[in-house]
Amino acid sequence: MKKWMCQQCGWVYDEAKGDPIGGIPPGTRWADVPDSWVCPDCGTPKSDFEMLEI
Amino acid sequence: MNATALKIQDFDDPGFNPFDTFDDSFGRHIDSPYPRLAELREQARVHPQEYKVLFGLPADLTTLDMPHFSVLSYELVYQVYANPQIYSNRIFERMLGPSFGRTVVTMDAPEHTRYRRIFQKAFMPNVIASWGDNLVQPVVDDLMAGFVGRGKADLVKEFTSLYPFHIIYRQLGLPPGDQRIFHKLAVALTVTSTAVDKAIEASEKLGAYYEALTDARFEHPGEDLVSLLTRVEVEGERLPKEILVSFLRQLINAAGDTTYRATSNLLVCLLQHPEQLEAVRRDRSLIPQAIDEALRLECVVITGFRMALVDTELDGVRIPAGSAVEAVNGSANRDPARFADPDRFDIFRKTTTSRHMGFGYGPHVCIGQHLARLEITRALNAMLDRLPNLRLDPDMPPPRIYGVNMRHPEHIHVRFDA
Repeated sequence: MKKWMCQQCGWVYDEAKGDPIGGIPPGTRWADVPDSWVCPDCGTPKSDFEMLEI
Repeated sequence: MNATALKIQDFDDPGFNPFDTFDDSFGRHIDSPYPRLAELREQARVHPQEYKVLFGLPADLTTLDMPHFSVLSYELVYQVYANPQIYSNRIFERMLGPSFGRTVVTMDAPEHTRYRRIFQKAFMPNVIASWGDNLVQPVVDDLMAGFVGRGKADLVKEFTSLYPFHIIYRQLGLPPGDQRIFHKLAVALTVTSTAVDKAIEASEKLGAYYEALTDARFEHPGEDLVSLLTRVEVEGERLPKEILVSFLRQLINAAGDTTYRATSNLLVCLLQHPEQLEAVRRDRSLIPQAIDEALRLECVVITGFRMALVDTELDGVRIPAGSAVEAVNGSANRDPARFADPDRFDIFRKTTTSRHMGFGYGPHVCIGQHLARLEITRALNAMLDRLPNLRLDPDMPPPRIYGVNMRHPEHIHVRFDA
């Protein structure tokens, strides 16, 4: 499970947690998140996220 | 380095007290805006009135010439924040611009997007994580040492109203002896509506100081935030000095006055619900949801101002270009269409449909929210660890969260086992 971070606001998409309120169930791999999905905090598109090194 | 410029100057009238001016403008006498907001939201989701005026408070002098609309439902508040091409932040050019200067708060895309990205880089969760041990914890420990052995304390006067400011002062590397002056000048920046001459005086004095400080830290960088911000870049672009100085002007009240209030409100909510306080004490993994529930129920920044750039319509209400539109976060957070039993504090709430608007939403969502969460988490953990049997003091007045915006209690009197 990997994490991806919004470069505009710092919200972190954790594949383990998904984004249930945004319709993305826990366990959803980043590659399977639709391109139409946007950051739940700032509305930035998926393309502006970068993988977060832990 | 200019030694004269690196000494902050107090107001020409050092007795000027901006703190009372600030609190009074939000209705110190009003216990809660929420019953009235519920009535108003029931009547209509958009009201053609300024939010403060809905409560009988004086209108904001900087926007007197504009039609005003208050947006009360969650769905429509979201709509305002999600459409910055219609609802612009340029309203802050007149509300805060005269004192803050050209800060990112006053900007729209594409300028805002570019500068926000550079600032955000310094406040990313992976960057601030190291501040927890190095910066936040020492401040928390120092302040708690002042009362931990006493068995009782006022958590506002002795802790919450101090710790985020001390953290910022350390981040900026400001001289300890002058911190009260910095705070006073920073709060005065926000009183443009009631004491514009003082706001401008504060702006000039903080501006002169921060200009000299950024020059000095650029030439001789340290580990502090100013040094970081003078050098941080995205795709080869650095922050122009004017934009950086404006950001620093804003930082003390943006990060301090909000976190202080949010921490205070969380503590009140937990202390008034001892069973939930005990649950969090036993299981610290509940802290994030306790913070979010307090931010929902008692958010600090209750309204977000925007300006309509074009003629538009919200819920059938015509909004002419040039109108002031207030997205009322506090009302959205208690919208029963999104939050069941919305006036109840419940850290176990199932938030399956909506996020709270405590930090706003959209391109201008709070830039410091990750730091705020880190600070509040450290503060709460320290209290739960070192103040056993923490409870409200039965011999003192209970805490009262007041006002229609920037809500907070003035005191939280507690007892604990020393």
